[in-house]
Amino acid sequence: MSKEDNKENGAQSVSRRDFLRKAGTYSAASLSGAAMLLSNPKPAQATTNVEWAEHFQKNYRLMTEEEKQEALDRLEKRYSEEFGKEVTVDGSPAMDGVLFGYALNIQKCIGCRRCAKACVAENNQSRGDEQQIEWIRVLRLEKGQFSADDRDNAGYPGDYGIQVGGNAYKPAGVVLEGQHYYEAEQVPEKDAFYMPMQCMQCEKPPCVKVCPVQTTYRDPDGIVVIDYNWCIGCRMCIGACPYWARRFNWGEPSLPAEEMNPVTHYLGNRPRMKGVAEKCTFCVQRTRKGRWTACVEVCPVGARKLGNLLDPESDVRKVLETKKVFRLRADLNTYPKFFYFMD
Amino acid sequence: MISYRLFGSAIGLCLLAAASTAPVFGEATQQGKECFESRDGRSQVVQREIAPGTPNVKCSPTTSGVLWWGDPFDGTIPMGDMAVEADYTHEEAVVKPREPQIDKNKLLTICAVACHNGEYVPVPENKNPRPLKMHKDIVPDSMELKHGKGAIWCLDCHHPDNRTKLVDNFNNEVSFNQPQNLCGKCHGQVLRRWREGIHGKRIGMWNKGGKKRWWVCTECHNPHDIQQGDRTSGFAQLHPEPAPNLPKTMANADHERVKHGPGH
Repeated sequence: MSKEDNKENGAQSVSRRDFLRKAGTYSAASLSGAAMLLSNPKPAQATTNVEWAEHFQKNYRLMTEEEKQEALDRLEKRYSEEFGKEVTVDGSPAMDGVLFGYALNIQKCIGCRRCAKACVAENNQSRGDEQQIEWIRVLRLEKGQFSADDRDNAGYPGDYGIQVGGNAYKPAGVVLEGQHYYEAEQVPEKDAFYMPMQCMQCEKPPCVKVCPVQTTYRDPDGIVVIDYNWCIGCRMCIGACPYWARRFNWGEPSLPAEEMNPVTHYLGNRPRMKGVAEKCTFCVQRTRKGRWTACVEVCPVGARKLGNLLDPESDVRKVLETKKVFRLRADLNTYPKFFYFMD
Repeated sequence: MISYRLFGSAIGLCLLAAASTAPVFGEATQQGKECFESRDGRSQVVQREIAPGTPNVKCSPTTSGVLWWGDPFDGTIPMGDMAVEADYTHEEAVVKPREPQIDKNKLLTICAVACHNGEYVPVPENKNPRPLKMHKDIVPDSMELKHGKGAIWCLDCHHPDNRTKLVDNFNNEVSFNQPQNLCGKCHGQVLRRWREGIHGKRIGMWNKGGKKRWWVCTECHNPHDIQQGDRTSGFAQLHPEPAPNLPKTMANADHERVKHGPGH
């Protein structure tokens, strides 16, 4: 065999990915050109050092184990440089025999919003005045009254009263719609109760159904996750979610390096980029390692419970067995795994 | 900004008002800053580094409440056996000792030797309520103790001649670290729910058999003013974290406060 032949065989054995990677590494011109084309014209945090390979990676779900590991290593390296600390990007898959469920004691919640802020600290959401994202919103609702008068048919012709506690002309029960932006001096307030809402991790998630690129999907442990790299920012999922649980990065996320949480998961709290949807993942970086979510740990009244729905001994199952439980918008057949309960 | 945490202790140690200056979110690691876990003034924790770059807690810059635990088991001790049989023994249950928190100014120690040593303040002959001359910072009007609706008084919970301990119905000493052994005497159902993990709070590992820090009763509840004011729960009122930013096109949130009356 001649020297020439050898060379040719060698060239053929290079895979397409290797070729692309080498092209990216060796050719400064092509790298900078690609970066100019592909990244934001305004270079910022999460997109400055994006590698060529990151743009061309597959949907996370379709990657082989090897490709996943490459993607994780790549991100670890990039984030560590960007934030000036050792960042780990975990790729733990769902645990066997675990289906996460959440229970929230609506009677105990005092509306202090610590869960929402703890979530931001844990999950690296964008913060500051320009671009603020919170995955949990706490609604303040006014306590209503049910009286015998409200239950009658006053205002209706004949016996057609169908509403319990009021009618079309006379609202009762909850007389105000929820307030997101309440600014009480002290909570809990006398006439209010509070209802925190976040991703319900539905069994039949409408957001997954509508995603045109299938970048969001439901893992076997019941957590609906997003591969941010594959997200095209069409916001179909945001429109489809009946719980207002998804958020969109309209601007470049602002995440100060000193506040960045370096323990991240690929599908969870790794720094996001502009133009992608994001949502609560039950702190996938924690729960898949056995830890409770940040909101469960921080709730000062212990209103929040997380557990394995498949384990009859778990606290969530005990709540379901012994308490009065309801789910939000059960009529939509999304089957949320987020339960509200009362003592 | 608001300075709302001005309080003094019995021996005149005044803690500084924690006035939040910059409302920038999460000034993560301020060494030596004091914040509270559940109740302001009664479950304080001092920020420090437990590992390079990892604080023991992260505090909210606006309310000084703890938002994040670096190590949920930092500073904890084993919970020990529970008086009533429970299926928690297979778990690694730990609690944060309450005694150092209550005794941070050596109050309990001083109580036990200075006044309640059996000489200065004689042990009362009966448990009938009488006006207190001391401890009005804890119980402003002892004839109207905000706990038990008049049915109980100090010595039903505090040991008559060992003030470093609590006492249960059978005159057994109860450590301040294990208040559930006392509280459960009346609040049995709550104790049961607490044991099952559906009342109260735990942090650490969610899975069965995982290590957990259990939160004891007095970390969240103030036993001296359970019934008070406009409160809707057994939990003290506190300052909420700030509201999320309004959307850029919105000047205020008045639309939320409009009553949707008839015709809506």
